Amino acid sequence: MDKKTVTTISYLSRLKIDEEKEEKITNDLENIIKFVDQLNDIDTSDIEPLTNPLEKTAKTRDDIVTADNLKKELLEIAPSSNEDYFLVPRVVE
Amino acid sequence: MTWETVIGLEIHAQLSTKSKLFSGGSTEFGAESNTHVDLIDMGLPGVLPVANKEAFYKAIRFGLATGAEINQVSSFDRKNYFYPDLPKGYQITQMTKPIIEKGSIKIFADDSEKVINITRAHLEEDAGKSIHDLFEGETGVDLNRAGTPLLEIVSEPEISNAKEAVAYFKAVRQLVTFLDICDGNMAQGSMRCDVNVSIKKSGDKELGTRAELKNINSFKFIEKAINYEIDRQIRVIESGDSVVQETRLYDSEKNETRSMRSKEEANDYRYFPCPDLLPVVISDKELQEIKESLPELPEEKEHRYISDVGLDESEAKIISSSKTMANMFEEASTKTNDAKLVAKWLVGDVSALLNKDNIDIEESNLSPENFGKLIERISDSTISGKIAKSVLEEVWESGSDVDEIVETKGLVQIQDESILVEIAKKVVESNPDQVTAYKGGKDKLFSFFVGQVMKETQGKANPKSVNEILKKILN
Amino acid sequence: MISHKEISNKELVKEVYKLINENSHLNAFITLNEDSSLKKAENFDNNPSDSSLAGIPIAQKDLFCTKNLRTTCGSKILDNFIPPYSATVIDNLEKAGCISIGKTNMDEFAMGSSNETSYFGNVHNPWGENLVPGGSSGGSASAIAAGIVPAASGTDTGGSIRQPASLCGITGLKPTYGRVSRWGMIAFASSLDQAGPMARTAEDCALLLNEMCSHDIKDTTSLDENIPNFEDALNQSLKGKKIGVVKDLDLASLDNNVVEVYENSLKEFVSLGAELVDISLPNLSLSVPTYYVVAPAECSSNLSRFDGVKFGRRSQNPKDLEELYIQTRSEGFGDEVKRRILIGSYVLSAGYYDAYYKKAQQVRRLIKKDFDEAFSDVDVIMTPTTRGAAFEMGSKGSDPIQMYLEDLFTISANLAGLPAMSLPNGNIDNKPIGLQIIGNFLDESSILNFAHMYQTKTNWHMLTPEGVIK
Repeated sequence: MDKKTVTTISYLSRLKIDEEKEEKITNDLENIIKFVDQLNDIDTSDIEPLTNPLEKTAKTRDDIVTADNLKKELLEIAPSSNEDYFLVPRVVE
Repeated sequence: MTWETVIGLEIHAQLSTKSKLFSGGSTEFGAESNTHVDLIDMGLPGVLPVANKEAFYKAIRFGLATGAEINQVSSFDRKNYFYPDLPKGYQITQMTKPIIEKGSIKIFADDSEKVINITRAHLEEDAGKSIHDLFEGETGVDLNRAGTPLLEIVSEPEISNAKEAVAYFKAVRQLVTFLDICDGNMAQGSMRCDVNVSIKKSGDKELGTRAELKNINSFKFIEKAINYEIDRQIRVIESGDSVVQETRLYDSEKNETRSMRSKEEANDYRYFPCPDLLPVVISDKELQEIKESLPELPEEKEHRYISDVGLDESEAKIISSSKTMANMFEEASTKTNDAKLVAKWLVGDVSALLNKDNIDIEESNLSPENFGKLIERISDSTISGKIAKSVLEEVWESGSDVDEIVETKGLVQIQDESILVEIAKKVVESNPDQVTAYKGGKDKLFSFFVGQVMKETQGKANPKSVNEILKKILN
Repeated sequence: MISHKEISNKELVKEVYKLINENSHLNAFITLNEDSSLKKAENFDNNPSDSSLAGIPIAQKDLFCTKNLRTTCGSKILDNFIPPYSATVIDNLEKAGCISIGKTNMDEFAMGSSNETSYFGNVHNPWGENLVPGGSSGGSASAIAAGIVPAASGTDTGGSIRQPASLCGITGLKPTYGRVSRWGMIAFASSLDQAGPMARTAEDCALLLNEMCSHDIKDTTSLDENIPNFEDALNQSLKGKKIGVVKDLDLASLDNNVVEVYENSLKEFVSLGAELVDISLPNLSLSVPTYYVVAPAECSSNLSRFDGVKFGRRSQNPKDLEELYIQTRSEGFGDEVKRRILIGSYVLSAGYYDAYYKKAQQVRRLIKKDFDEAFSDVDVIMTPTTRGAAFEMGSKGSDPIQMYLEDLFTISANLAGLPAMSLPNGNIDNKPIGLQIIGNFLDESSILNFAHMYQTKTNWHMLTPEGVIK
């Protein structure tokens, strides 16, 4: 867990760590990873990973439109919007 | 130095379900911005996805039609990245276990047939739309499209040139429209594709580094973009550099591809199984029902038209290649005994009109019943072929009933021989010079007499009868 | 009290708000729902209802979306968020007649074991000036322990109902994963989160659980199993029933007092007729590292939606999109949340996925298997809930792992999806402590049965900081 790794995962997570906290965070992360490393002592070959504790399958829905027009309510709770769109700073492709 | 091109296509087809892949939001195109956004589509805190089973059925139809392996147990993964039109900050997709694996499609390019294998086809949700040009310094986000089901179809890198790529895209489009799983409307973005292009020296086993050309949605641009990119890569390598693995956008105005601005780190999508979605199982019974409900596919139609209806190969190919043409042909043929004549007119006069107006047959004023009637009236000699052309044009403009037009305009063919004989005699008697010339050996003048009789009858004489009668009189 | 007409519904609600005011130093609430609550109470007075929880004032953890009532999840990034819909659990409780008094304070995004990470300040334990109430459902636990409300909703991902219940001296139940719908619950770790009741007694928990549980088609992880009436099994005899005592528990690392309290409870159950059976959960010690891979991984993805684009807070004047994301999230999230998101991104990233995330999910299956095997021999399993009683704020120091080890006993039930409860079983230096009862899949009834019978014979659950309540 070096500085470069922290920078990479910070960017992936869109988080910026303040310079004064950088060292502590890097140490914290390193300790946590060391802590969870003990999992590697266990032999788990041939064990199927468990993603959800329910060993069952999903129910599906029928193909019908059930949603109302929520435009007004949704745009209202947005931090920045006009009557038609959510707004963000201009994106350049 | 000969270069070989290796191309693979990733086609995104919007499945024509009424509601979204994981919510009850409507998928209807063209709605006012942000009016088809369900709480789930918004990615509000606390919302959860529920899978739309029709999307699975549609995906399976594709799998069955391409001879693929169907995974009856589907699971979903999250693809994590940040973008304004991706509300949850992740896309629900199928990375590890796609619903469709393998399969193949036949394509026709450069007069030869080739089979392109499909690696996989999987379900995933579409993102919303970012609108960049409306506001100064800002981008607007419309989430109507967010959550629409997509079938991502990935081909093996077996395509060798731009023409094959277009042929493959066309073949996929034809198939999904025939299967009624996607409306194939390129202008509306129902089908988009990413193209992976790389080059290698002929004979080299190893593939070259590929560039991904993103989001192209017209046949013309696919061809141009690929050709530009091949040239570009050749130039790069010949100048001593190497091709960079990257995403590129095609600029149709400048006819060039250019690198997309994206940071390297941004490409780690951190896929992992979506913990909110338990696996979806399609039962054997459902699978059987889907199999039985598959519509007749173009190739089957073509064979049937040739062997059962007796069409010739080129007509059969043309009519079976378009769902709407095939529908028109089959329905119109139920209204008349002469299916072959239906085909002839469909491929001939009707197609000419379609091209002139640049519309699809479904958008025209010609209904199958009316078309069938028109052909029947030719077949039963009510009207001549020539008259029928003008009737067709009338129908094309107004959509009026064939029989009404024929009646109102008095277009019924003159069948009565005695009337024709009288008119023919009159024509012959009024043109003694031409008769002399004809009898003197100028055989071509025969058509003059035919023309005169047709003129006298305003085109309503049965041409065959006119020929026979004139032959009798003149010889 | 209400049914005996000692006090009207409206007066009761007014009394609750008075108590909230008098106990504002506890900082148990973030948002109050006064007007709406008084109206609803008045309505009950004018039109008496026979719904099971009619007029009962309940505090709702601020992790549940409540329509038109601010929902913050204890975070700055949501401090202005007004949801346009309510969680199924809220709807269920309100349909049963509950009056949602307000939203309780909690660790930010449910990440914490002491309620010290909330943007809205620490919650205090009524049992002591500077004591933590536990977390993340610290506000709910504190409000009940202080006698402000008789019950509250909580959520439990690694122990967030049970641990505060233990530290505050109340009873709290995490049901089987899937019993209670997660629709409207702001997600922390989707495969671990579960909502549950918190109250003074197991009996009250049963009453609440009856209403909270439902099969919800909007949540595909919601169980479609028969929901029993949880009150039915309360008074069954414990004779011949088997309690699993975990051999692999590292009791030696705990305070003597804690072990003594625990062993005394076991004796109490034996006197009620139950038998103690030694069982082994060999992979139990791996539950904390497993959890601290799985939960951060899921949360790093679940929290990506907080990006300042569609709802919640946005940073001021970002110069471009990148700045919008980075500033909004960096300003809006506290340190613990950031730490967990970073760990989560790390364990999911290319190159580390197999070694960490996949590995943890495999160990998770082993842990679940251990329980499956153990439950073939016993009806319930008992452990202490926490390593000790409530600790001083700030005493866990700056090492996050110290805090993580607080969840040592509770985490495994979340990993396996099993129901588990904490009930008060002792008092150490005038601080309460709890016993954990873990049940088999779908067997909340056995847990409630054991707990209730214990509570008929003991009165630890009746202790308040002021003394024993009647």
